[in-house]
Amino acid sequence: MVLVGELSLWIALLMGVWAVTLSFAGGYLKREDLIVSGERGLYATTGFVVLASLGLWTALLTSDFSVRYVASFTSANLPIVYKFSAFWGGQAGSMLFWCLVLAGYAAAATFTNRSKNRALMPWVTGTNAAVLLFFVMATTIASNPFERLEWIPPDGRGLNPQLQNPAMAIHPPLLYLGYVATAIPFGFAIAALVTRRLDAEWLGAVRKWSIISWVFLTLGILLGMWWAYVELGWGGYWMWDPVENASLLPWLTGTAFLHSIMIQEKRGMLRKWNVILVVGTFLLSILGTFITRSGIIQSVHSFAQSNIGMWFAVFMVLMLAVTAWLVSIRLRDLEAKAELEAMISREAAFLYNNLVLVGIAFSVLWGTLFPILSEAVRGSKITVGESFFNAVNVPLGLLLLALTGIGPLIAWRRASVQNIQRQFAGPAFFGVVAAAVLWVLGARELYPLMAWGLGAFVAGTIIQEFYKGTLARMRMHGENIFTALVNLVTRNRRRYGGYIVHAGIVILFSAFAGMAFRQEYDVTLREGESFTTKDPFGKEWTFTSDGISQFKALNRDVVTVALMPVMEGKAFPVLTSEKRQHFDTRGNPTFQPSTEVGILQMQRQDVYLVLAGTIGDRAEIRINFNPLVVWVWHGGILMALGGLIVMWPQSERKRQGGYVTELAPQHAETAGV
Amino acid sequence: MLTRREWFVAAAGAGAVLTSRVLSGQGQPTFTPMDQSAYRPVLREPKPGAQPSMTPLERDQLERTLKCQCTCILDVYTCRTTDFTCSVSPAMHRDVMRLVEGGYTAQEIKDAFVATYGEVALTAPVKQGFNWAGYFAPAVVMTTGGIILTMMIKRWTARAAANAPAMAAGSASGAAVVPRIDASADEMARLEKALREEDFE
Repeated sequence: MVLVGELSLWIALLMGVWAVTLSFAGGYLKREDLIVSGERGLYATTGFVVLASLGLWTALLTSDFSVRYVASFTSANLPIVYKFSAFWGGQAGSMLFWCLVLAGYAAAATFTNRSKNRALMPWVTGTNAAVLLFFVMATTIASNPFERLEWIPPDGRGLNPQLQNPAMAIHPPLLYLGYVATAIPFGFAIAALVTRRLDAEWLGAVRKWSIISWVFLTLGILLGMWWAYVELGWGGYWMWDPVENASLLPWLTGTAFLHSIMIQEKRGMLRKWNVILVVGTFLLSILGTFITRSGIIQSVHSFAQSNIGMWFAVFMVLMLAVTAWLVSIRLRDLEAKAELEAMISREAAFLYNNLVLVGIAFSVLWGTLFPILSEAVRGSKITVGESFFNAVNVPLGLLLLALTGIGPLIAWRRASVQNIQRQFAGPAFFGVVAAAVLWVLGARELYPLMAWGLGAFVAGTIIQEFYKGTLARMRMHGENIFTALVNLVTRNRRRYGGYIVHAGIVILFSAFAGMAFRQEYDVTLREGESFTTKDPFGKEWTFTSDGISQFKALNRDVVTVALMPVMEGKAFPVLTSEKRQHFDTRGNPTFQPSTEVGILQMQRQDVYLVLAGTIGDRAEIRINFNPLVVWVWHGGILMALGGLIVMWPQSERKRQGGYVTELAPQHAETAGV
Repeated sequence: MLTRREWFVAAAGAGAVLTSRVLSGQGQPTFTPMDQSAYRPVLREPKPGAQPSMTPLERDQLERTLKCQCTCILDVYTCRTTDFTCSVSPAMHRDVMRLVEGGYTAQEIKDAFVATYGEVALTAPVKQGFNWAGYFAPAVVMTTGGIILTMMIKRWTARAAANAPAMAAGSASGAAVVPRIDASADEMARLEKALREEDFE
């Protein structure tokens, strides 16, 4: 099967060349036979990439240590789920995984457009196949997962313990699904530029793919945060690590695009800007992989470093040059079809929203790359850490939060004073009262107070929209509150799905603000000794050590400490933290010891326990009180749920029905609704 | 304003710099272990009659501004309290303790670490010289972007007003705008209502 996999990869390379050549030739010569042949070439490439992937999975699951990749990233005693996820645990495998996802997406995009967007499709298929060809080529030539060893070792090296976590089995694929989905809109953008069909046609095809990418990136980033929180043990979920930043960049520009696309759809404006955002999002996705794979910047993700960075650098420069050239020759076609009529309008609010999102993306990119720039200019290395990113991005984030409330409620074209008063008086009052109450309760830090005040304002705008819409349906259709609410969302998924995403943002920002009040304690305890302190809410906690224990598990030695937490007389379940030393089947240690943190999760805060190490019978531990952390996960899941609602297919009949019902209820019966 | 040719030359130059940087970073191992040999002693004689210059809490805060040199991305405090397998952060912690007990201020201690390791000893760049570009570039870009965007919006709105004087006049006076589309009064009423609904789509 390994041989089949390797051969499949080479055949996929040849089929990719076929798909690119025939698709572009078919598009240029306007010959349907070539176009169809190019599409079939893409399907064939996809098939062979799937076969190659099955080959690698077979090698991993059967522990075929003659394959270097299998020997490097698995061991015979590795749990089967991690043998499966080792596919993307190393660089060569994750490159093949990227090929697999991209091939699947490209085939799906070609298949779903087999009877529409026909003028665009040869160029879309050609571009997608070209991107796929690059990845297949890089995988086959520079990073082949089927490379053999000259001798067969008795056991493999094992998977990095930090990757032996359920989140790590899911986080990279989700992130890749998000990254790779940006390639499809890129293909449509190139096709639209080449064919000069720059109206709404390509946007309609692109929107859904952009939301798919956005949802997967959101979930991937969220799971990455969760993994960092439970696995790395530093007590937080976001460190502004270069690879974390790399995943955030396409998310930010993708979010900007999902807002600006509305302006082009409604008003025919921002045509150049939307092309730039689509291309930029794709290139930032490639940059993310480049940063992860090249080792150009120091990162906790250094387990995936390799020599493939050069390939990505060349590819990025090439794509950038091609796109810049295409945009430059199509500038006239990209002129806006309408004018912006007033400064106080939804269009303007969305423009400022785009500015802030892209501004945050720039500052994150700048902070990530500044050490390289500084070294090049001054010759000395520097570190750009959390304090820099927080100083720059927190104010921008608060501005974005405010625009999250303002944008959706302000009128299109021109907002009147009455409109502003009607829409914003209630939410603004709600926000001010919330901030005042929190001030009285003792929250005196400026940024958290602003986050919660603005969060309350945005929450007010969302509640107001749902309230008005539900009430209108109850009045017009005699529906009960539940039915009215469900129908309100299902009849206009984009609008109300968007509000649900915004509700998730509010929860997320409020939870981020909670971390400003985190507390941490560095203590040493023997068995029976206690440590007493107060949490950020003023509650007294006592932690009593139950001692240190040692045991052997499937593929690791474990040292664990157990604490019994009691809050003002109320006992909680025993909290444990572990140090693990993994070993191979011969008992030899593999990798450095890893930490498993203990977390007592509550709605208001997490109690977070880290065993740093042991000295004799004493355990050196860190105890953190991390306020509102659970709301980060709630908010993130709500955002993804809102994204799913937005992208869920809605039949034209139902959309029409909902529209007619809202506009002319008296004619609903005759309209068959 | 750059011409297209100049733009491409500049882009190619940037690409070349990036590529050379990447090439110099080739051949890295597949896994980067912590570099336990990265520790360098930071030693200073105690000041005469020295008293500890800060509380343990203040010392912990200071350690958060010093980066562990073991190739992890953590500060000294977080690294030493997270991972006992790192020998660098505890050694750096001992140096901090010694300097605190020797009466050195937080800034003096930071300076001592920078003198030994270079600026990479700090978790944020020193606010001087070229580093100001790091701090100010995002603000400059955002401010410039905001000004340009505001000017563009003003220009667009002015042009829209000039292109549609009748419409602008109608809106200003509160009079109904005369539609230039083929629609019945009923359809226009529906359209008005739909606009009032301020569809999010």
